[in-house]
This record gives sequence, structure tokens and C-alpha cells, in this order.
Amino acid sequence: MEEPRIGVYVCWCGTNIAKMVDVEQVADEVSKLPHVTISKTYKYMCSDPGQELIIKDIRGHKLNRVVVAACSPRIHELTFRKAVEKAGINPYLFEMANIREQNSWVHTDRTEATSKALDLVVAAIRRVQYHEPLQKRSVNVDPATLVLGGGIAGMAAALEIANAGKQVYLVEKTDRLGGQVAKFDLTFPYLSSARQLIQPFIQRTENHPNIDLFLNTEIKEVTGYIGNFKSKVETAENGTIELNFGNIIVAVGLKPFNPTVISEYGYGQFPDVITSLEFEEMLSNGHLLTKYGKEPRNIAIIHCVGSRNKKYHEYCSRVCCMAALKFVHEIRACLSSANIFEIYADMRAYGKGHEEFYALTTHKQIIFLMYDQQESLPVIRQANRNDNCNMIIEMDEKLSGESIEVPVDMVVLMVNMEAHENVKEVVRAVGVSLCGNQFFIEKHPKLDPVATTTGGVFIVGSCQGPKDIPDSVAQARAAAARILASIAQGSVAVEVTTASVIEHLCCGCQTCIRVCPYDAISYNEEKQASEINEVLCKGCGTCGSACPAGAILSKHFTDTQILAEITGIMSMSYKGA
Amino acid sequence: MSDSSIPNPKIKLAVYWGSACGGCCVSVLDTHEKLLDIVNAADLVFWPIAMDIKYKDVEAMADQSIDLTLFNGAVRNSENKHMAEVLRKKSKVLVAYGACAYMGGIPGLANFHSREEIFKRVYEESESTLNPDKVRPVEEFEVKEGVLKIPEFFNDVYTLNQVVDVDYFIPGCPPQSERLVEVFTAVITGIGLPPKGSVVGALEKTNCDECLRKKTDNKVIKRFYRPWEIEDDKETCFLEQGVICMGPATRGGCGVRCVTGHSPCRGCYGPPPNSTDPGAKMMSSIGTMIDADSPEEIDEIIETIVDPAGLFYRFSLPGSILGRKVL
Repeated sequence: MEEPRIGVYVCWCGTNIAKMVDVEQVADEVSKLPHVTISKTYKYMCSDPGQELIIKDIRGHKLNRVVVAACSPRIHELTFRKAVEKAGINPYLFEMANIREQNSWVHTDRTEATSKALDLVVAAIRRVQYHEPLQKRSVNVDPATLVLGGGIAGMAAALEIANAGKQVYLVEKTDRLGGQVAKFDLTFPYLSSARQLIQPFIQRTENHPNIDLFLNTEIKEVTGYIGNFKSKVETAENGTIELNFGNIIVAVGLKPFNPTVISEYGYGQFPDVITSLEFEEMLSNGHLLTKYGKEPRNIAIIHCVGSRNKKYHEYCSRVCCMAALKFVHEIRACLSSANIFEIYADMRAYGKGHEEFYALTTHKQIIFLMYDQQESLPVIRQANRNDNCNMIIEMDEKLSGESIEVPVDMVVLMVNMEAHENVKEVVRAVGVSLCGNQFFIEKHPKLDPVATTTGGVFIVGSCQGPKDIPDSVAQARAAAARILASIAQGSVAVEVTTASVIEHLCCGCQTCIRVCPYDAISYNEEKQASEINEVLCKGCGTCGSACPAGAILSKHFTDTQILAEITGIMSMSYKGA
Repeated sequence: MSDSSIPNPKIKLAVYWGSACGGCCVSVLDTHEKLLDIVNAADLVFWPIAMDIKYKDVEAMADQSIDLTLFNGAVRNSENKHMAEVLRKKSKVLVAYGACAYMGGIPGLANFHSREEIFKRVYEESESTLNPDKVRPVEEFEVKEGVLKIPEFFNDVYTLNQVVDVDYFIPGCPPQSERLVEVFTAVITGIGLPPKGSVVGALEKTNCDECLRKKTDNKVIKRFYRPWEIEDDKETCFLEQGVICMGPATRGGCGVRCVTGHSPCRGCYGPPPNSTDPGAKMMSSIGTMIDADSPEEIDEIIETIVDPAGLFYRFSLPGSILGRKVL
């Protein structure tokens, strides 16, 4: 290894860091450490002059390693890697110490924060000495795309890509396109027809020359990696067909929660307690009648059924409040004198035009009753013969503080929207992760909301979390744009910090194979050793920590590098036990 | 007359035990008839288990006068440390021989306790102890005839190279005698000796490489078993049967004797070259095999591992990053 010549740059970040950390002291202390050729502070390291400073020093002082102590590497690691690369150093011979998010922003004692900053910078200095140059790699992209799910999100994505002249394979597990939207009567907040919205979409999808549609089809297994996936589909007409594609869009949607488990509501026991989806169907068919064929005089709509409740689902389904208000309009349009009760826990009208829609609905002669989701749910019971109604809802009305009884002939339960049971099969097939609520996890919740940690796999629509039509369509088109960009480029960069097997140390115990979340490891019988497909590998490091023999090298996260970092962090202020 | 016809002068060999069970010394005898070859090539100048040579005799030897010293046992007390220092000075080549000298070994498990805890247990609490006055050993005791001295019992157990500079390491509890012959031959001929600091007499790959049991990626564990709790099918990988076997984290070289005898590997040969802490490595590996659906189930499964620290660091505690229990 050549003698390390390290340049250390401590950023003020204006006053963000400098206010809480004595940056001059940090730079001064580390300048005394072995291999530190130069150490400086600067007001904004990420600015053009800040980057120029590094580039000039690399050239002038023949630096071969660089440490920048500044903000989170999530924000500027790439910036500085590019800067050092510009000066002719491999971008991986750089290390960043986070002294803002993990230090100045969270501490209040300047002396202690300075001492911690020093520890973090020393750790980075120790680590960077063991960094090795890594080379960028890329793979070609097959221009076809697989779309899983033929709801509005899946169709929007498929059409966007097909309209750009690229091949799409659209796989839908049911016998028809349209998903949840096809089951709606009207949409909120403009009360336009869902059918008029979805039908042209379905027709364009069915007739598009660039879309191959597979109904009644499920994908069991996908092999390959970004740019080069493969899968087989069973078709009724042509038997098994092998498909090749470069990207995948997962748009498998969600399903309504089954409220049978909430005993308070008696769903399944009272025929006129129905779910919001059943009510949509009733509205679409144009008959708003009880099971006995009578016009209901009293209708209650209960919100948050299975939502925002730790016993069922803790999250908010986002669309039910507005759908409930939409129902008010539809009921009022056909039953001018019926009593309508909105039994809600919280009214969420966050979207464009939603608050106005809420205000408009309050003029429809309806009664809003509030219940406390945490305290007690309303309870539905059979009415007595002389009650002049079908059922009674007993509830603690929160705003008045009184226990009341509400006469009803029909109850609509605004059911939670939950993930499909079979999402785990999709997870297995395409290799993406689920959150605790069984919705797919995006790569970054803010900055990369439709990508996943698996390259070439995108998630759109409500399989990522409940959402309304405009959000679903926006995600679908965003993913299509991402894919079209990679197709236009013809190739994509793949992970550099991958794992590799040190063959002469691998004993063939195969512990690593099962733990790989990306199916990147296989066993080579001939060599009696594991092999890692470095295109599939995302560098998560799981195999490296699982390997009992120390035979897997996680590039850029080797034991030597990590131990050097730990030793560094302990070396300045830690006095030992 | 050419030089080659002059018989080489015999080399001087010493074998010493620190904190040890004696097994390493016996492993030297286990070379059987090869011992005669060793004796032909070497003069044994010091070997307490076999010969009556006093410490003062060794102290009187000239520095660097011993060609090869096999030091077995850990460094547990001041006597062990003193002899380690003396032998380092007197020897050209000092070898940490066996798991205790190399990594701390079984005596090293004492680092899960302090000296005080050990003394309290041994001199006060143990079921067979009758010591109402709570008498403890003292390092110096005056009697009529003079002052009696015993070595100081350290708080920590050390590996040999934590005390003195070591040239080579031979792992094993005890090392396989065949390996000793190979190493011995290399030392006297000077042929095939690796760089100073190397582990010799062992392989780079771990035991699974030589193990003949059937191995797959099906290492999915719902509960752990101790060897006597299941009927071993004698052909499937122990881990796949839920029995913890240190084989995948342990250097080969022993000839997978334990597993061949249908007993899981205990890890006496220590970690392979790139592994910095064998206990942590094996625990992190075992973690990936646990098949649980909830954090509670993970806890339940882990509960079935009896004495995990003692199990995963059985031979390696003082020499590992962990080192000891911080009290």
C-alpha cells in the first residue's frame, strides 16, 4: 500500500456546524495525526470554491485520500466523490464524517460536541487509510417492461411506456382490467363518473399495439437483474411463454378490510350493515334499498373501520373520509328526506379540493357525530319492534359528551384498505421489501418514492400505501419516466460496493445463500464454493456478516475498514474500562 | 569431505507448560515412533513433564541458546509470565503451541469472571469447601523457617503473545501430532517456514471443507439442540440438524476428528485468517439461521442455546476482540 497522504476538510456549514463545534480545534487536533498531510476548515465545503479547495490540494499536495467532515453522506457524499474523481483520485478513496445531523444539530454542549466531532473525524481518518479503489460498472437495459397489476396505476404506467414506443407486458391476476376504480360509482371531489374515467383507459390498454396483456395470470418467479430480467407466464392459448424485460413495475394494489372481526358493528350478522365497497356496487346498480327492498329512512356512515386503531390497522387509509362525503351527495341525490349520519373519528380533507368538498357536503342536511377511536367504538344493535327503525347505534358522542342512540335502517362501514394476502409471493418473485403494514417499501420516502432497493423494480399506486386516483396515476407516470430514461440511456450503473467470495477461504457451508435478499449467491459444485453475481448484489453486507469463515469480502465495508473506524472512534476520548 | 556428510549439530528443543492441562505435552509424546526422530534431531533441554530441570538452570542458559521452544498453556499467573519472558530471551524460535497459548483456551474462559469472583467461589462457596475463617492464599507468608512465596494469580488470563513476542502459532486442543512433526521438520530444515507471526500446522479453509457430512443451504433453525438431545443421523450437517457446530468458523487441520467421531466441532483450531473474532463471527452466522416470525420467537429460540458466551468463545476469549467480560 502506498503511504497514505490524507487531506481533512472540516466544514462550518455556515453556522450549522460552527456554532456548536469548534471546527478550528478539530482541524488543528487531527493535523497532528499520522498520515494527515493537510487539514483545513471552510465555510461551505459543498460550494464550488469548497470543492475547488479539495481539488487544488489533491494536485498540490499529492493527496491520495480525502476526508470531509460535514453533513450526512446521504446529502453530499456523491458531490465530494465527484470532486475527488475530478482531481484524478478514485472516488472511493474518500470518506465522510457526519458532524451535522449526528452532532451539531442534536447537541447543546459545545465542548462535548467538539470532542465528539473529533472522534468522528478520527474514525474517518483511520478508515480511509484502508479504502481501496473501486471501479464503476454498468449493464445493458432490455427495453421491454413488465407491469404487475391492471388497475389504474398499472394501466397508466403501461400506457405511458407503450406510447413512447416501448414493449410492455401487463400481467393481471383477475379476468379484467380496472382494479378498485372499476368498482366505484362516482369519484371525489368532483363527483365525476368512475366508469367514464376508467373505460377509455381499459380500451386503450387492451388495444395498444405495444402492450401484451395477460389476464388471469400470476407471476411465480422472476430471475435476473436490473436491465435483464426473465420470467415465465402460463397462458391459456399459447402455453408457457418466456418473457424478457429490463424493468418491473409493481402495481398490485390493495383490498378492502373485512370488518367481521369488529364485533361492535355486527357485520355479517345484520344484513343492512354493509361495507363501502358493497355500497358502491349498490349505487352503481342504481338501487339504494335495504335487504327487505325498502327505501332506508335513516342511513349512518361509520368512518375509520379497521383504520387508525391498534387492534386492526394503525395507519389511515387516506381515501375513506372523502369517499364517505361522496356517499352523502349520492344518497341525498336520490333520497331527499332521509336522515344521514356521518359517524366519524376525525375528518381528513387534506387533498386538492377536498376541504372545499367537505364544506359543500355540510350543506346537505346531514348530522355529524364524533366518536373517540381510542375510547369506545359505536355499537350497533337490533332495534325493538316499536322503535320505528331497523337498528340502533349506541355511541358516546364526543363533542356533546353525551351517550346517544341513533336510529338507522342501513349502516355503511368505511372499511380500511389493506395489502393483499399474496404480497409475500410478489416479494419473493421480484425481491422487494415490505413495511410492517405489508405495503411495499420505497427506496427513499422523500427523494426516491417509486423506486425500491432492488434495481429495476418500481412500486406504484396503492400497493405502496393507500392513496387516491391522482396520486396513483402520478406515481405510475413517474415510474414510467424513470424506466424510459434508463431505456433511452441503454445502460444503467450497478452497485460498486458489492460482496465477493474469497474462493480459497470458502469452505462451502452455504450459510450465505439463504440469507441473500437478492438471490445473488449460488453454490458452485465444481469449485465447492459460493459464487456471488455482482450485478444482482446490492452490497447490503448480510452475507459478509453471515459467513462464519470470513470468506466473504464486503467491498468498502471490510472488517479491516470497520475495525479501523471503531478503533479511531475509541482512540481520542475513550479512556478504557 | 563435503559439508553435507558432517551430521548437523542437534538442535536444542524446549517444551514448557503455562496454565495448561498437560494434553499438549502428551500430544508431543503422541508422535509415537516419530518422537525418536525428534530426539535424534534435537536435544531436549527443558521439559518439566518429562525431565527434572530447574528454572534456575534455564535462567542460566545463554540468550538465544534454545533453537525452538514449544510453549503450551495460557498465561494465568506471575510464574507463567516469568517463564514466558525467560524462554523468549533464551529461544531463537518461540512457538505458541496449542489453543491456550495461542488464544487463551479453556483457562481463558475465566475471563468471564474476576479474580475476586473466582476466589470467592473456590475458597468460600463451592459445595465441597469447608473454610469458616475464609482463609485465602497469600503471595507471601512468613513461617519459622523463612518466607514462603507462591505466584501471583492475575485478574486476567493472557495469550502468550499478549505477554511476549511470538514467532509462530500452532492451534489445537491439543494440536494434532502429525502437524507437530511437519512443523518441527520445517523448523530444523528451515524449508517451508512461513513469515513470522503465521499460524502453522493448520489450513486456511475451515473445517467444512474437509467434513464429509452432507451440506446444503437449508440452515434453518427452529430450536437448538445439545448433541445428546437428538438422534444424529450421522450424515447431515450438524447445523442443519440444529446442533451448534463450530466447524464453519474454525480452521481446518485437525482432520475433522470430532465430526468424524459424530461430535460437533468445538472450535479448538481457532478462526481462519480473515476472521477477527471467532465468537462474534459464529454468533452473527448463527443469527442468520434462526427461523422466527417475531422478536419473541427469536428470543425463545436463542434461549435454547446453553451458555452462548462459553460456547462460542470456548477456546478464544482472551485472544478475541471481546477479551473478557467487563466487570
